[in-house]
Amino acid sequence: MTPRQAARIALVAALAAVWAVSAYLLWQSKVPSSLHLPHLDPHAYFTSAQLHATARFSRVDDLFFWATTLAQIAALAVFAVWGVRWTRESAAGPLGTGMLLGMLGFALVWLVELPFGVLELWWQRRHHLSNVGYATYLFGNWFALGGEFVFLCFALAVVMGLARRLAERWWIAAAPAFVGLALLFAFIGPYLTPTHRLQDPSLRAVATQLEAKEHVGHVPIDVQTVHDVTSLPNAEAMGVGPSRRVVLWDTLVDGRFSRPELEIVIAHELGHLARNHIWKAVGWYALFAFPGTFLIARLTRRRGGMGEAAAVPLSLLLLVVLGLLALPLENAISRHREAEADWLALQTTRNPAAATALFRRFVPTTLDEPSPSTIDYLLLENHPTIMQRIAMAQAWRRYATR
Amino acid sequence: MSEHPVQLVVEDDLKRNRLTVCFRLILALPHFIWIALWSVAVFFVAIANWVVTLAAGRPAGSLHRFLSAYVRYVAHLSAYIWIVANPYPGFVGEEGEYPIDIRLPPPEAQNRAKTLVRILLALPALVLAATLGSPGSFASSRGSRRQSFGYSASGLGAAVGVLGWFASLARGRMPKGLRDAGAFGVGYNAQALAYLLLLTDRYPNADPTAMLEGVERPPLHPVHLVGDAHDLRRSRVTVFFRILLALPHIVWLALWSIAAIVVAILNWFATLFAGTPPRSFHQFLSRYIRYGLHVSAFIYLAANPFPGFTGEAGTYPLDLVLPERARQNRWKTGFRLFLVIPAAIVNSALGSALIAAAFFTWFVALVRGSAPWGLRNLSAYALRYSAQLNAYFLLLTEAYPHASPLEGEAPEVHAFDEAA
Repeated sequence: MTPRQAARIALVAALAAVWAVSAYLLWQSKVPSSLHLPHLDPHAYFTSAQLHATARFSRVDDLFFWATTLAQIAALAVFAVWGVRWTRESAAGPLGTGMLLGMLGFALVWLVELPFGVLELWWQRRHHLSNVGYATYLFGNWFALGGEFVFLCFALAVVMGLARRLAERWWIAAAPAFVGLALLFAFIGPYLTPTHRLQDPSLRAVATQLEAKEHVGHVPIDVQTVHDVTSLPNAEAMGVGPSRRVVLWDTLVDGRFSRPELEIVIAHELGHLARNHIWKAVGWYALFAFPGTFLIARLTRRRGGMGEAAAVPLSLLLLVVLGLLALPLENAISRHREAEADWLALQTTRNPAAATALFRRFVPTTLDEPSPSTIDYLLLENHPTIMQRIAMAQAWRRYATR
Repeated sequence: MSEHPVQLVVEDDLKRNRLTVCFRLILALPHFIWIALWSVAVFFVAIANWVVTLAAGRPAGSLHRFLSAYVRYVAHLSAYIWIVANPYPGFVGEEGEYPIDIRLPPPEAQNRAKTLVRILLALPALVLAATLGSPGSFASSRGSRRQSFGYSASGLGAAVGVLGWFASLARGRMPKGLRDAGAFGVGYNAQALAYLLLLTDRYPNADPTAMLEGVERPPLHPVHLVGDAHDLRRSRVTVFFRILLALPHIVWLALWSIAAIVVAILNWFATLFAGTPPRSFHQFLSRYIRYGLHVSAFIYLAANPFPGFTGEAGTYPLDLVLPERARQNRWKTGFRLFLVIPAAIVNSALGSALIAAAFFTWFVALVRGSAPWGLRNLSAYALRYSAQLNAYFLLLTEAYPHASPLEGEAPEVHAFDEAA
């Protein structure tokens, strides 16, 4: 082994160690490691009709996911082979041509996904989960595609600009740039989301008490109007630093959920902020961004590297395939964070009955399967399953009375 | 392609009588009444002609003559109202009697299928004709307290008419650029009307150069188009997503525009002070205008490829020649903001035609994979004028934008000049 090879191996080992230590630190959770979730029978919590309805809904919904994913990969695979032909439609030099190819790739994916999207919308409308009209869906998607194009062009300009300067080492500079962008979006996200303050004074007072218990400082509680688009209930913690806030969808505060259940939701979202989950999400993104960009840099070498427009179609395919491969891991990390937020909500409210009632209510309102198949669990579930969440409430009860 | 059977004849000498120009709309009142009556008759005759053409495969001679006279009369009247011609027109639409005239074909065999759906086929041409200007109309409306009565017109023709009115009153002469633009509008309107009324089954040709073939070309403007005018191929995929694909350019152009505004203000002060724009400002603004043209050509489908982001010369099939910096008149520089207003009016009118042309080109290019030659040239004309306006406004040249649809001609170089 030459000293150069030895140095390279040592460097890779050191980087792997840094990666592992960072991952370990980010994985730390308040959920006791000794906590054992009991195995619960869904039939004890849900009627057979409810279980049948969710299974039926999910079966078709899963079909759309697989069809969309396969269509997307097939379209990008074809584009990776033939997309270079569109370079003749550009007079923009390598960078601009790369942008054009990137946009065309996304446009083709949009086209092939469109029929499945419409069918999925039909399925959701049939189950009263979506109120979006077909025309709104098509035109709204069109505008969203425009936004994606602008962001994609910016990303490609960064990658290709760096690749033309730094050759194969572009990923070393690009990964931090993308992490910076992720952080920027985490910060400005709340300002771009149209919301209004929570009007209910008593719920606001409860939120203030929960803030104090979770030691998160003052966090505004906002409401986002979504009832004209969907009937699904949801909430999220957003922002970093001064932009932090909890956003409740108005479908959550429309009277279908009781006060104690809403307290669980707010405590859960404040738990995300208390445990810096958004920062941690950016941290995880950074851990994936470095190897991800490195892999793309290596795998596009045969097309001349990312400095050449010809490499762009292949890079899009790689991006999607790598994203799909990383999906189970991403979901596992997300579920881990969500479980911690659930635990903090139970610790703060000390009300496992309300938590159980909330999770039970999610089944008829969202048609989520309480206990999905393993493949669904790995690829589609970024939250613990309903049964896991109910089991955690039961486990907390035993843990608290120990 | 063979010559269009509906031909515009321009024999106007640009001279205008100030008195008749001053009272032009009032003098045209009898014509407005007459054209309204004639139009009612034409409505019924056109239906009869449609039935006859469908049955016999060609229009009846008498109906064809009646409708031809109407098309010519509309052209004469439009030319008179828009100050594109000077003399008071006759009332019968006689051929060869007016300096802006229309030569129409004799009755000829027509495709029955096209005849059947003629009104639908004519729609795009009529929309485009509306943006190029119709003769206008008098209308009355009842408000809450009183009845009002007014004349309304729109499009390129109206812009030419208003600006031509002031210019002709001041100089006793119609500017050639405005006259040519107005004549083009008259000619296209006549072709669209002739197509609708089954006087020909050749589709109107939006190509301004073909329309004004016999008209003398203006001198070459320092800001003019170059490149491959015959590059009509269009990629269907990029055409379909054209607006979305242009978004990065629109964002970039918006950012560039902010800088360009600052530089333009500094350039104005510098030129006013020194008499010549600073080199760096001139170069920056030249690139900005050229980039704007590339992006517009891409958006409006006047060119095919995705443009670069730098506005570099010689990189795009529809490119712009801009002049080197030169000394400029300080008075013209000082009042540039006001001097540019007439050109901005023409540019705004051409903008509507550009949008309509792009709209129809989009459909044609999606089906055929190529842009129609006429619409491409109309778009190029609008884009060229817009670039000339921008160059004038941003002090890259003191040559006023030339409204003629004809591309300028470089002055002929004689042998003894070359030898000298």
